[in-house]
Amino acid sequence: MPATVMRDGTKQVRDRQFRSEALRWLPEVTRYAMSLERDEANADDLVQETFLKAYEAWGTYTPGTECRGWLFTICRHTFYRRRRREERQVSYDDPDLEALAAAAVHTSARQGGYADLFTRFDLSDAIDRAIANLPDAFRDVVLLIDVNDQSYEAAAAALGVPIGTVRSRLFRARRLLQEALIAHARDSGLVPASATVQGGSADEPTNAP
Amino acid sequence: MAVVAHWRRMRDTELPRGHLAAQRPQSGGGMAPGMVPGTPMVDCESVMRQLWDYLDGELTSDRMTAIRGHIELCKRCYPQYEFEQSFLAAIAARGQQHSDPQQLRARVSDALRAQGLRDA
Repeated sequence: MPATVMRDGTKQVRDRQFRSEALRWLPEVTRYAMSLERDEANADDLVQETFLKAYEAWGTYTPGTECRGWLFTICRHTFYRRRRREERQVSYDDPDLEALAAAAVHTSARQGGYADLFTRFDLSDAIDRAIANLPDAFRDVVLLIDVNDQSYEAAAAALGVPIGTVRSRLFRARRLLQEALIAHARDSGLVPASATVQGGSADEPTNAP
Repeated sequence: MAVVAHWRRMRDTELPRGHLAAQRPQSGGGMAPGMVPGTPMVDCESVMRQLWDYLDGELTSDRMTAIRGHIELCKRCYPQYEFEQSFLAAIAARGQQHSDPQQLRARVSDALRAQGLRDA
């Protein structure tokens, strides 16, 4: 068989594989790109560049492995390169301690009258700002897990870090977001529930410690 | 939609509203009595340590059941569970939908074709 025919056959298989394994994740990559780039036109550019790079690097992808995570990794790296931003290293605490710290944030919210902060007020803009202000490493896990519904394992694969690192960054990021949103509520004069409602709701215990 | 996807992942962690008044939850600080027989007992601190893992559906099914059983009955843990769950729903709702996904698909396909990708 002539070499050109063989090459054509190989390319055909490669292209078919790319279509079936990579292009099927276009909606997920789009959603991820939209969460990185809030502007749709920029997100479109990012998605296109991601798939062009993926096609170019398709030879390095191992068929049958986590293609979505591989694409997310390319997308994230491309995003940072486009922004000329370095992915900063951050220190992180023990995830268990971070999980316990969440209880302290909740206590603070309750004492300030903001126990129902996330159901009573539209915080969309404040949430976007708070996410944008997170250090990149924390923002990455929030966007993958909380906005794009990835598991800890998938996020770890996409970020190239151990699951323990994902957990600790995620829990810290959530605490930072909650603290920022509670501060926003206070600074914006959003009225605490305790100022408008006498006593708790029917569902809420009245003698919780 | 991101919210739907997130809530689908969280569906096993949702508790019915109003159940606390009906089930008379116990004071916090210890084991929650009245749990399903055979369910491993958990205390409040264990629940606090694993609440995020629970809300993310990242625990084993036994552990999910045990923590759910505790939260249903504990008046200290339930408010925090409710607070964290509403926080996660607010964050998940920030996932944006593309206004014209077909147009984007066509654009990406054209770019790939120009790069040499053959049609199926």
